[in-house]
Amino acid sequence: MIEARNLKKTYHTKVKKGLFKREKDIVEAVKGIHLKLEKGQIIGLLGINGAGKTTTIKMLSTLIKATSGEILVDGVEINENPLKIKQKVNMIAGGERMIYWRLTGRENLWYYGQLYGIPDKVLKTRIDRLLTLVGLNEKQNVPVERYSKGMKQRLQIARGLINDPDYLFMDEPTLGLDAPIAREIRTYIKKLAIEEQKGILLTSHYINEVEALCDYIYILDHGEVILEGTAKTLSESTFETKITVLELAEMNSEIEASMQRFAVEENAIIHRSPDAYLIRFESKNELTEALVKRIHSENLPLSKLYVEAPKLEDTIIEISRRVNS
Amino acid sequence: MFIKSIKATFIRDWITQLRAYPMHFFIGNVLTVFYTVLGAFFMYHLLFQGHLKASFEQYTGTSDYMTYVIIGSLAYALVVRTLLNVSRSLITELRQGTLESLMLAPFSRIGYFIGNMLQQTITSLGEVFLSMIFCLIFGLSVGTINGVTFVVSLVMTLYAYFGLSLCLGAIMLYTRDTYISQNTLFLFIFLVSGVIFPVEYLPKYLNVIGASLPVRDSIVILRAAVMDGVTIESLSPIYLRLFLLGTGYFVVGYSAIKKIERIALEKIFG
Amino acid sequence: MKHFIKVVRAEAHKQFRNKIHNVWVVFSMLIWPILAFAAAYFQFKPFSFEAITEKVSYLNDESIITYIMIGYFAMVFFRSFVQSAWEFSSERIYGTLELIYLSPASRIAIILGNAIASLAINVWMFALFMTGIYILFNQVPLMNGAVLTLALAMMVLMSILWGMLLNALFLFTRDSGMLFTVLEEPMELFAGVKIPVQLFPLWAKGIGLAFPLTYVIKLLREVVFLGHNLAEVSALFYTCIFICTIMFVATVFILKWGERHNAITGDMALF
Repeated sequence: MIEARNLKKTYHTKVKKGLFKREKDIVEAVKGIHLKLEKGQIIGLLGINGAGKTTTIKMLSTLIKATSGEILVDGVEINENPLKIKQKVNMIAGGERMIYWRLTGRENLWYYGQLYGIPDKVLKTRIDRLLTLVGLNEKQNVPVERYSKGMKQRLQIARGLINDPDYLFMDEPTLGLDAPIAREIRTYIKKLAIEEQKGILLTSHYINEVEALCDYIYILDHGEVILEGTAKTLSESTFETKITVLELAEMNSEIEASMQRFAVEENAIIHRSPDAYLIRFESKNELTEALVKRIHSENLPLSKLYVEAPKLEDTIIEISRRVNS
Repeated sequence: MFIKSIKATFIRDWITQLRAYPMHFFIGNVLTVFYTVLGAFFMYHLLFQGHLKASFEQYTGTSDYMTYVIIGSLAYALVVRTLLNVSRSLITELRQGTLESLMLAPFSRIGYFIGNMLQQTITSLGEVFLSMIFCLIFGLSVGTINGVTFVVSLVMTLYAYFGLSLCLGAIMLYTRDTYISQNTLFLFIFLVSGVIFPVEYLPKYLNVIGASLPVRDSIVILRAAVMDGVTIESLSPIYLRLFLLGTGYFVVGYSAIKKIERIALEKIFG
Repeated sequence: MKHFIKVVRAEAHKQFRNKIHNVWVVFSMLIWPILAFAAAYFQFKPFSFEAITEKVSYLNDESIITYIMIGYFAMVFFRSFVQSAWEFSSERIYGTLELIYLSPASRIAIILGNAIASLAINVWMFALFMTGIYILFNQVPLMNGAVLTLALAMMVLMSILWGMLLNALFLFTRDSGMLFTVLEEPMELFAGVKIPVQLFPLWAKGIGLAFPLTYVIKLLREVVFLGHNLAEVSALFYTCIFICTIMFVATVFILKWGERHNAITGDMALF
């Protein structure tokens, strides 16, 4: 099990101001996080850019040092023997970097395998197994530059597994991928936890990805965990808000009053947008049916009616507002 | 149209240069002259203590080794700078994606390159004159200079370099490489153009190639103007040859660029 | 130790595969040095050698080719690293350096493997060319084959350590362009590729002594031209070993420092 207790990270950076002037800037990237990751479990870190997800992953994977707090990997403090910890963890990042494009898939895996000092025979069978796992067997001797985006991403996963780590950190593993490829990658991730008993920590800013994959979710904002729980409890408390958008062909004070009455009746919040003809209703239940009835009965000039998925930013701002008040 | 293209390119390049002048380009250029001249200075004064072979004076008509080397080095810096900028202008447009929008406009190509060259000339002359300050310490003597001949020689030199840079520009645009083509050409020019030693020492076949590049003649006329203070008339045969060479390079380079532009654009869209 | 060697081998192999497609190697490591070598040779032509026999006894119209050859030969060994260290620094940009740091592999082994690969890829063509020139213009007979072999081995060792140092420096440098400017041309001038360093004024000598190449060139010239035996060049050998140690310690220090710096600031660039 990996356990982080009261993890903090403060960056001191110098910002150039003019030719010689430098100003010190202190950024608190992570402000005291507690989290637990067990083998065979997938946990998610959810947050918008700059929430502290990547910093957390880098601390857990030995790449950067925490300013304070402790990280225990299977009961051992991470700084006690970092080389031993490195054998147990690995990291997979989204995007097409972090592999050598001129080398073939197999050569990439071989190279990284050497860095972990894996005996040749073990390495060979492991590479074969991993290539099969991610479905790159046929393309193993093709240089990576000729791989598609999804193939590169799959090779990243194989590379992250080369040292047979107990714990795997995945930083936005589906970033920038088309929907079908992202779905495919998610299937692999699930398989890794269930079949290979890996403890996986996943960061993402797609709510649905985290919801679908993770057993336990931490929502990060400005370096703090503002909410945590299982996907089920979280979705009941937060993700379930529905936003129904109504666009009318005209607007007057009469219609406006009627819409306000509707909101009160249905227990919804009205969000007005700069566009005067557009009204957003936020509520627990979907309001489409009720709205259609109302429009019909009052003969309103409807131009559009649709349901909007909540944006992560909005959800986090909303949670943050609720937690603070 | 023609003048407008010159003016617009000149102003655009001037602004770019003012906003983001790569300091290390400038330092690098002045330093290159410095190292070349310092190396020659060490060799002449420390190693050989001023002992030249009789053949040197026989080939060059002077025994002032340091001035000989310094003028060569400064002219070399000028050719490097011109080639670097004018030749690279179109491929830079290609790389930053502005070539298409440029080609869409009915602009004058020659005007574009002249504007580019004029802007460049001002900067590189600035660099050269700055380099001259420390060159004076190393023994550059300009007492015998003929000002009129020097100015005419300089204009002829720039004209010839302009033609050469269009040719290099065409090669760059075609191969889409700047690094290999420019450095190979620079080293070759340095070897065959009499920059720091008289070309008479070179084997014949290298001399044939050297004579076909305009750099050698340009260095000859610059040296003649500064060291011998000769009149324009006495250099007229070389001026004529340099003019013809420069024009030749210009015609070849310009027509090649026109063709390759189209190929380059097709490559973008295809 | 076994793991160390495996990492060296893997890194060398990776670099080899990564670079072998590059055409520029032929230019930057063969054609350009040949052109520069030729220019240096002709630069000596205007000078009269009779006047300097008491200064540098072995320099004359016949020996000048071998003399410049030694300088350029050794320089290409050292210079090959400036270019490849610059390329190596791209590992930081592509994110692969982070993965290397994620592994328990020895950092020194990586840097060493990389330097060995650069050397193997870059200098063989020029070495071959130089051997050809030597055979064609064989004016200085080779003496002391055993000492010469030792001196050449020292050249390879020192250049590899130089490469490791540069790799470490470039890995953690933000502005590699500046390092490039500082290392390319001054090395040719101040390390005595063309003019013996002992003739320099004190300040120039001081700069020269900062380049390991200076000692290699001196060692090779003393062995080839003066036929010095092992005892006569032993002091120079010890100096070389001392400089090797300094370079090695500096490399280890930079690597450790860089990793620690990164762990604290999350930023790979040190300088």
